[in-house]
Amino acid sequence: MNIGDRIVAWSKDEEIKKEGASGGLVTSLLTAALKGELVDEVIALQKKSEFEGVPIRTSDVDEVIKCSGSLHAAPINLTKFAVRFFEEHPDGTLALPAKPCDARGIIEQAKRKKIDLEKTYLIGLNCGGTMDPITTMKMLEKMYEIDPNEVIEEEIERGKLIFKTKKEEKAISIDELEEAGYGRRENCRYCEINIPVMTDLACGNWGAGKNETFVEIFTEKGLKLMNNAIELGLIETAPATEKGIKIREKTNGVMEKVAKKWHEKIFVPIEDRLERLHYYMDVMEDCIDCEACKYVCPVCACDESKCIDFYDPMDSHKISIYHLVRLLHLSDSCIGCGQCTDVCPAEIPLTTLHRRMADRIQTKYDYIPGMDMKIPPSFEVE
Amino acid sequence: MEEEWTPKITLFCCNWCSYAGSDDAGVGRKQQPPSTRTIRVMCSGRTDPGFVLTALMEGSDAVLFTGCHIGDCHYISGNYKAKKRFEMLKEILDELGLEDERLQLQWISASEGSEFAEYIRKVTEEIKAIGPSPLRQEWMK
Repeated sequence: MNIGDRIVAWSKDEEIKKEGASGGLVTSLLTAALKGELVDEVIALQKKSEFEGVPIRTSDVDEVIKCSGSLHAAPINLTKFAVRFFEEHPDGTLALPAKPCDARGIIEQAKRKKIDLEKTYLIGLNCGGTMDPITTMKMLEKMYEIDPNEVIEEEIERGKLIFKTKKEEKAISIDELEEAGYGRRENCRYCEINIPVMTDLACGNWGAGKNETFVEIFTEKGLKLMNNAIELGLIETAPATEKGIKIREKTNGVMEKVAKKWHEKIFVPIEDRLERLHYYMDVMEDCIDCEACKYVCPVCACDESKCIDFYDPMDSHKISIYHLVRLLHLSDSCIGCGQCTDVCPAEIPLTTLHRRMADRIQTKYDYIPGMDMKIPPSFEVE
Repeated sequence: MEEEWTPKITLFCCNWCSYAGSDDAGVGRKQQPPSTRTIRVMCSGRTDPGFVLTALMEGSDAVLFTGCHIGDCHYISGNYKAKKRFEMLKEILDELGLEDERLQLQWISASEGSEFAEYIRKVTEEIKAIGPSPLRQEWMK
């Protein structure tokens, strides 16, 4: 196996294969990394129900096996958990599954010296978008007419979202769901990065057969992860078929096109200056100063937060300085992961606001955050 | 008789060039409108974007960055940092809907007293033409 290889792989462990999605490769890679002492700890998402996943940090192989299975309705970003790990163990090594936004957050943090990327194994996961759990439950009741508690499995296949219960199986196309206001989270709809090319290896079911995972290896570390798992006898591999590679590229192309369309639809420029100002003033007015957006933000990296330095809840400014400083701070590094909108108790569309600013600055400086460790943040001055 | 409205302009001056330049304007008795509130900083690179945002929110009609000419910084690279911050802030404030004139950057050296006075006159006229900042509270005079 070499860097740049495209292969299909699956787990040899029957238990993992049964529980995990697409042959349970990612779970096997994580367990192999622990067993082969490649890493000290692993971060994984433990499935509590179809709508709830809890991130855990563990060195226990059995705990990791419990985490197998895919979850589309648990939009969690693991970056801050990785930051916490390196705060506690500066010399430790870590492996974690990462969708594109996790990986981009981790790379942005690594640029700001909060994460040691050399010691982090990123197992990339192809991602076509995640869903908000509450919206999904509502969608199940209204569109699918299924009781959310009865769902045992969900899957995305050929642009259709499929939910399975013990009795039945129902599929509705994602376009139809999103027209009705359900489906993926807003930021996922316009996200153009579906294959995590910035990680060590990208795994996904696009272009793979049933119960196998398509893998593309990008780095030396990715190669090490695969070889380690093969040596331990936990996975089996085969070269990817020409057809599979084409399907994967085509799927990616289609997703990118859809994302561009959504981007145009959501980011309608407000031409009039005063109208724009009032738009920002009106949406930010609802803020209740809980600072939750700051805590979850994967790219927020101040030791002592600048955004609260200049801010006092007693201020009666027309726009809160807390948000202004955050808008400025994240304008070069915002990756559009949607965490801020998710946690906001006042339901401020923060991600949209941040993207409005960030789009301008990131286009101006031709900087896409979280893609390449070698490119310094555009805020940096030599 | 109603008094003519004069804008309130926050002016950040670097200790080594612009502040001396503003001093020079005074010593040389160059006429300039009393619209500026000068804040001396040790270097234009010390002007945190937070200062600018606070100034605007607290009722400034405009904020001016001034510092040593590029290449003349007392601390070698402070004004490069100021320039970058200015560019970023400019984009943000433009997106927020503030007029272009409300944030400006000008390099003024210690000997440019007359240029300094001329610049303040020009900016004051510009701000007078566009009126008070929409971010200013109604109760602020």
